[in-house]
Amino acid sequence: MEEAIGAMNFWTILGNIFTLPLLLATLRLSTPIALIALGETYSERSGIINVGVEGTALLGALVSSLVAYFTGSAWIALLAAVITGGLAGGLHALWCVRFRANHVVSGIAINILVGGLALFITSAVWGWRGTSPSSPPLNTWYIVGAMFVLVFLSQVFIFHTRWGLRLRVVGEKPEAADTAGINVHRTRYIYTILNGMLCGLAGAFFFNNVTRFTSGMVGGRGFIGIAAMVVGNYSPVGALGAALLFGFIDALQMRLQTYIPSQVSIMLPYLITVLVLAFLIKRAQVPAGLGKHYVKQ
Amino acid sequence: MPEFAIEMKGIVKRFPGVVANNGIDFSLKKGEIHGLLGENGAGKTVLMSVLYGLYYPDAGDIRIDGVPHKNYRPAMAIRLGIGMVHQHFMLVPRLTVAENIMLGQEPTKSGVLLDQEAAIEKIEAFSKQYGLPVDPRARIEQLPVGEQQRVEIVKALYRGADTLILDEPTAVLTEQEIEHLGEALAKLKQEGKSIVLITHKLQEAIGMCDRITVLRKGEVIGTVDAKETSERDLAEMMVGRDVVFTVRRSQVTAEPTTVLRATEIRACDDRGLEALKGVSLELQRHEVLGIAGVQGNGQAELAEILTGLRPPTSGTISLGDLDLTGKGAKAFIDAGIAHIPADRYLRGLVMTFSVRENAILGQHRKRPFSSTPFWYHQGATTRFTREIVDAFDVKTPSVNTLAQNLSGGNQQRLIIGREFSKKPHVIIAAQPTRGLDVGGIEYVHQQLLKMRDQGAAVLLISMDLDEVMRVSDRIAVIYTGRIVAIKDPEETNRRELGELMLTGSLSSERGVGETA
Amino acid sequence: MRSVLQALKQSSFLQETGITLLSILLAFGVGCLILWAAGYSIPAVFINLWKGAFGNKIAIGNTLTKATPIILTSLSFLIAFRCGLFNIGAEGQMYIGAIITAVVGAHLHLPAILHSIVALFAGGLAGAFWGWIPGYLKAKRGVNEFVTTMMLSYVAIGLTDYLVAPRGPLHDAQAYANQTSAVLATARFARILKPTQLSWAIVVAGIAVLLVWYFLFRTPSGYELRCVGQSPTAAEYGGIRTKRKLILALSLAGLLAGLAGAGEILGTHFRFVDGFSPGYGWDGIAGGLIARAHPVGTVFSALLIGALRAGALQVQRSHAAPGDIATVLQALVIFFIIAPTLVRRLIRWRRRSVQ
Repeated sequence: MEEAIGAMNFWTILGNIFTLPLLLATLRLSTPIALIALGETYSERSGIINVGVEGTALLGALVSSLVAYFTGSAWIALLAAVITGGLAGGLHALWCVRFRANHVVSGIAINILVGGLALFITSAVWGWRGTSPSSPPLNTWYIVGAMFVLVFLSQVFIFHTRWGLRLRVVGEKPEAADTAGINVHRTRYIYTILNGMLCGLAGAFFFNNVTRFTSGMVGGRGFIGIAAMVVGNYSPVGALGAALLFGFIDALQMRLQTYIPSQVSIMLPYLITVLVLAFLIKRAQVPAGLGKHYVKQ
Repeated sequence: MPEFAIEMKGIVKRFPGVVANNGIDFSLKKGEIHGLLGENGAGKTVLMSVLYGLYYPDAGDIRIDGVPHKNYRPAMAIRLGIGMVHQHFMLVPRLTVAENIMLGQEPTKSGVLLDQEAAIEKIEAFSKQYGLPVDPRARIEQLPVGEQQRVEIVKALYRGADTLILDEPTAVLTEQEIEHLGEALAKLKQEGKSIVLITHKLQEAIGMCDRITVLRKGEVIGTVDAKETSERDLAEMMVGRDVVFTVRRSQVTAEPTTVLRATEIRACDDRGLEALKGVSLELQRHEVLGIAGVQGNGQAELAEILTGLRPPTSGTISLGDLDLTGKGAKAFIDAGIAHIPADRYLRGLVMTFSVRENAILGQHRKRPFSSTPFWYHQGATTRFTREIVDAFDVKTPSVNTLAQNLSGGNQQRLIIGREFSKKPHVIIAAQPTRGLDVGGIEYVHQQLLKMRDQGAAVLLISMDLDEVMRVSDRIAVIYTGRIVAIKDPEETNRRELGELMLTGSLSSERGVGETA
Repeated sequence: MRSVLQALKQSSFLQETGITLLSILLAFGVGCLILWAAGYSIPAVFINLWKGAFGNKIAIGNTLTKATPIILTSLSFLIAFRCGLFNIGAEGQMYIGAIITAVVGAHLHLPAILHSIVALFAGGLAGAFWGWIPGYLKAKRGVNEFVTTMMLSYVAIGLTDYLVAPRGPLHDAQAYANQTSAVLATARFARILKPTQLSWAIVVAGIAVLLVWYFLFRTPSGYELRCVGQSPTAAEYGGIRTKRKLILALSLAGLLAGLAGAGEILGTHFRFVDGFSPGYGWDGIAGGLIARAHPVGTVFSALLIGALRAGALQVQRSHAAPGDIATVLQALVIFFIIAPTLVRRLIRWRRRSVQ
């Protein structure tokens, strides 16, 4: 009799966890990861590694909170976030292309810079270190929808249009692109700025999800986004698939918190990421020209 | 109608430390094949890169079809009808032939989506018209080198080239493939194209070209009619002195003793395809065994197998009594096998390390450099480096200069000095003279033969058939991962070897009427 | 005199140092712009920055105390960097080292100095293990170490958080805060500059600098590590076992970060407290970069960052500006340092405009 009750508890628990809200939460939580992964796919396919996606997303969230506060409009805030993200991407591209900085290090610098700026600005503007006041958000499902549209458009763009072909060539063999008359540097700028814009959008998602800014709100999801890109093998649809997996884990761990200690379940997404990378990666199709500076005479 | 497709006057192009083009005049008549001849570093590629818009000249004028142009980029050059086929192909391995060719001029459906079929149709049309068979749907990385080159040529034609620049096109081809290329060029000429052929090979220049311009050290020595000159004349113009091959192989009368034995080696390349299909070799003391073959037939993998950089999937390697099968590079180095790698940038040197730190690479854990894992001896390292630099005439400002700041020739000398000073029993030399000038090449050959005279067993892998024939005591021909013949250089000739390299067998040994 | 100047100009060491200093100046310049744009008084900020960092004995003590773990985490980043790897998990490795040290320090009974050393090494080894994991994954499965070290850092922080939370196994039953029991007196490092928190841990850091220098430049193993970092293909050609070096590099990186954590526990806090590190692991990344990946340079860069951090507290306290301006400055310095072409171009531009 007791065993039957025990078994029933297990199934009830499962039933409590795996529900429609879980599915919806998965879709929502995958969105920023997918956006970042998509952006990084564009950037890395042009040959630029951008680990500053974490900071850029945070910047997007910060700018969202600032502009929403001062204008009262979440939509204008979203636009501002996207533009600022693009600027950050442009800065990174400038450093990598023009000044030939090490891509990874430049990205790290962006992360540190935005981290510090976020604390500085929130203190300066509102006197609260690392948090912003609440502002009326927009419905995050708009962003979710936009994400799906962007992913599928990107899949077609990269593999079936002429600009996508040129993008791929720039990433694989910039010399070949150059001799075909394609401007390698300009391509890298464009797609890294696009990367930044998508991260800004992800940041706007974070803000609208909880109506305020907190300094830890990206919480490593930028890096998970990079992992998603790798698992997805540098294709938009692949990145989406991986992002859905990670989003699922994220959504799951929140529900598990009623059953296991919160600190443990918070660790889950990160742990799973490591395991996925460790065991699910076969030979990845890394663009051959990734991370190398291209110098023309 | 202008008589000249291209006119270049007074072209000057400087790079840090060197004047690559020093006031060069060059003109290409319409419908001619014009050879641009010169040693490595004479400035041929630079001149054509200027023409193609990859470099801006520091001075001089360019007229294309009679119209002056200045400071333009390759996109413009393509529009003006100039196509360039580079020595190192500008093809993306992971993409298809069609994708590579249509890059920049992609046909589209409704302006947005790529129209692969239209491109493929156009490519097949060109391919047929000029007798250049290519498979538009294949991925570049699946194609042999000869076909890749055809892709490059079709690519230029696809973009509307009337003038073609071919940079050292025969560097990777065999005799028969060169013949095919010659036929293709003749066809192109027939169809009204003008061609510049950059080469350092004398026979090619005379055989394929109408006129030849010789460059030396960035200057034009002269322009001659191919019919009115000879190899000797051209050679003299190229190097400024009577070219006498001073390297002579002395006869060695020692008893042949096998030092390194490889038996039934099978191995895969980086892509997992089988590159060696049962190769057996014996390296003897006092002997240079030359491996002749077209690039891509397994030589690179063979060199890696024999130096421990790649494990064989089956077969054995032994040095005397010592079994080296499956062991790593360290075991091979410790066994006294020296390796002059084909790529000195990737393998041979750490470019950002100093000469000193490069000199001990491979022996850094041995005495006298480090007697324990806790200390490595600065003084001994410096002394040793100085000895090498002196003995092998490596021109460097100091032993602390970074390797990347040395010239190619001196980098190669450093590598040779390092490897040979180990007094190795076996030397695996892969493309050891790549990128060197005549003086450098002679030096390397001298050193190899010296080591051979002193008792080392030398394996020479080279794409340059002349080099292999000149330096080797025995020549093995490698074809699709198998050794198909071993010949005595005195008893064979270029044509025979070429046939072996391309087809794997001799028509004289096949029945009459059989096809290759 | 002229020939001395010529010689100085040629010296690449001085050139590099000059560029570093110039980068710092430029970064501070941009920092001033930001302060001005936000309406803060620049003099007030800099006066307080100086006061907090070097103003008096206490300030200097604070600066040095903060610099101590940063030296170690900078070395951590640096040693991995020299092998071509990015260790950005120093923070997590520090936490793992710290908690193991706290446990060994609180529950083992050993005579005085021995206890300290054992606890220190325990922390180091724990950190080494945490670094070994991404190293192994990278070597055997080619997994990007940037992401794995980052992820494991979060895991480490979450794990230790759980362990010292009120119902966690290592929680100090008598305390409200999330912490372990106090480390026994036998394990603690003595304070050397009362009343600041500066302890013998700084000596440990100094020794680490020398050891890392010696390892990289005077041992065959360090030579091999650097070789792999500069050219893995040439390293393979030279008979070096590349994979082993990758694992070694990240393990050593973890070791150094673990020592940083151990030093903080044994010298500063005497127990593991949740959140004991205000981000020393991340500072180590900046420290390694500003030091141009030279072990001896970490002393300078850690001092700079330590000074910024100590000064920032004073800036915050005096309400001259939000203290986080220090982090912003730090990031700006990195930006300028990693773009040597930018700095050189500015020098040339200045020279030309002066003529």
